[in-house]
Amino acid sequence: MKKRNTQDNLLKALVYAASSLSLLVLVALLSFMLQKGWGSLSLDLFTRPYWSEPISIEYPSIYPGEFESPTDLPEGAVFSEAYGFALIDSTNPKKEAVLELVYLDPNSPLNHGTNIQAGHEGEAATVVVGYWVDKIGYMNTKGVVRSSGRIVGQNAQKTIQALDQSVSLENAYVQTKGGGIVGSLLATLYLIFVSLLLALPIGISTAIYLNEYAKRNMLTSWIRSSIELLTGVPSIVFGLMGVLVLFPITALFSAQGTSILLGGLTLSVILLPIIIRTTEESLKVVPQSFRDASLSLGANQSQTLFKIVIPSAIPGILTATLLGIGRIIGESAALIYTMGTFVSDDPKLLKGATSLAVQIWSIMSGDQPNFALASAISLVILLIVLILNFSVKLLAKRFRKVW
Amino acid sequence: MENIFEIKNLNLFYGDKQALKNINLNIAHNAVTAFIGPSGCGKSTLLRCLNRMNDLIPDCKVEGHIEIDGEDIVNDKINVVDLRTKVGMVFQKPNPFPMSIYENVVYGLRCQNISDKKVLDEVCENSLRKAALWEEVKDRLKDNAYGLSGGQQQRLCIARAIAMEPEVILMDEPTSALDPIATAKIEELIQDLKKNYTIVIVTHSMQQAARISDDTAFFLLGEVIEKSPTKELFHIPKDKRTEDYITGRFG
Repeated sequence: MKKRNTQDNLLKALVYAASSLSLLVLVALLSFMLQKGWGSLSLDLFTRPYWSEPISIEYPSIYPGEFESPTDLPEGAVFSEAYGFALIDSTNPKKEAVLELVYLDPNSPLNHGTNIQAGHEGEAATVVVGYWVDKIGYMNTKGVVRSSGRIVGQNAQKTIQALDQSVSLENAYVQTKGGGIVGSLLATLYLIFVSLLLALPIGISTAIYLNEYAKRNMLTSWIRSSIELLTGVPSIVFGLMGVLVLFPITALFSAQGTSILLGGLTLSVILLPIIIRTTEESLKVVPQSFRDASLSLGANQSQTLFKIVIPSAIPGILTATLLGIGRIIGESAALIYTMGTFVSDDPKLLKGATSLAVQIWSIMSGDQPNFALASAISLVILLIVLILNFSVKLLAKRFRKVW
Repeated sequence: MENIFEIKNLNLFYGDKQALKNINLNIAHNAVTAFIGPSGCGKSTLLRCLNRMNDLIPDCKVEGHIEIDGEDIVNDKINVVDLRTKVGMVFQKPNPFPMSIYENVVYGLRCQNISDKKVLDEVCENSLRKAALWEEVKDRLKDNAYGLSGGQQQRLCIARAIAMEPEVILMDEPTSALDPIATAKIEELIQDLKKNYTIVIVTHSMQQAARISDDTAFFLLGEVIEKSPTKELFHIPKDKRTEDYITGRFG
């Protein structure tokens, strides 16, 4: 009797330990990502390009004015009373020292220059808070043009000091703030659009064929098991298939090498089995009595399908769609070959780009892995997947019908 | 009395299994014909042949002839959709569509691409009246049909069939899922409907067959043992097996 009790308790302890361990792992994972990524997470992240762009500016010898320092400057920021802006010592994602522009007076002469960067010559140069200031050229009291800024090894304090004693503002070299995900976000949306556009109609039609029209014979059971098999194929194999089989198709649209279209085509193949199976499950639970009733009222098969069966299966089809979107957002291996790993800030359908997941891969695989940004993107992905999962549950509840 | 259905030498197979054996049966116009018999004797199978609903069952093979108004319907050439508008059906369990009461009634018409609101409204009201449901639902036609009670749902299904103006209404144990009060209402309704429609009803209740039908056919193991006017069949059965069944002595 006692032995049996001990065994029972031992088993319980094991089960509890196992479940708390898995919970612990989850919590650890989340807290790690939050700790690393929270700092980089801001609304700005979603609208900022990844690559910082250099801007070379020339000023028409602007003389210093008198500007008032704002009261709410962050700690460590240094304000230039002569030109009305403030700099702070900071580091870029590669841990190099940079000077970040933290305040810009609306009348500051910094915005009165002309862009002389190749390709943008003559445009009015705009400088925005958040930019990195590499160099500011000024004329000193001896009438010689000198440089200040990070490029000559000065920190914020020294730079501003030199400027405030200058005679005029001559030129500047700044960098737009990079490290954003706007390009990957757009590319992910493109990807979702392209792959669903292909996979949904084909997948739903296949599910309808299998469940409503197909006779139970060798051929259909063979089709069914092939679909089962497809679910188990590793996505990197699909990626390879994308390069070998689907690339010629995208080449017809004059895509060269990797492109969003190729990625979308590949992903739609990955999505097909998911969509077919989920849709078929939802078609299966539509009561046969609905079909019988519809047919007995003189409806033909397609009327029965469109008026009764598909409307009843809508929640399942929506679930399939959301599952598909989740899969697209999470996929990386198949996209590395087909969409490339070069982060693009201006994604085009026929050009390479990265999805959010591939951007993580891309920024982690260089010499200087950027943990902070990678964790921030992971949090974004997690958030999207979480929202999708809740929507699936909500939809299923909302559309649940009584029959 | 004139016959609407003439069934001649009908054999039906599910795969290798023969479910109906050499059926010869006539069904009279504007009358109620009941099919009785133990479970699995083929009465529902025969009923489903009358509007070709057996097409939906895989491996189902039919040989022989069923003539409706002299036209054979056991062949691939006939238009099944037309046949089914002529021969409506009510099922064992009430099965309204998950839509409003109104849409349920006019569903068949919509499938015929009739969309004139005046026509639909009129048909809806007439059909619901004929199904003795109008007074109960006239204020909530837009409500979901699943808000109705089981008996009301079944009458809605009858209204839905009537809306197609069929000649025949097939009923497959229409009251088996209903309580006695709802059953009584449906039986009353059937009595009423036979003035305008031919009704073929499969039932497990011999009392029901005796109460409402004009003719009764007794089925056993895929064969029609006896078909006579109901009174005759229940009082002076010709066959020993019929007698055994209706007196409850049957195995």
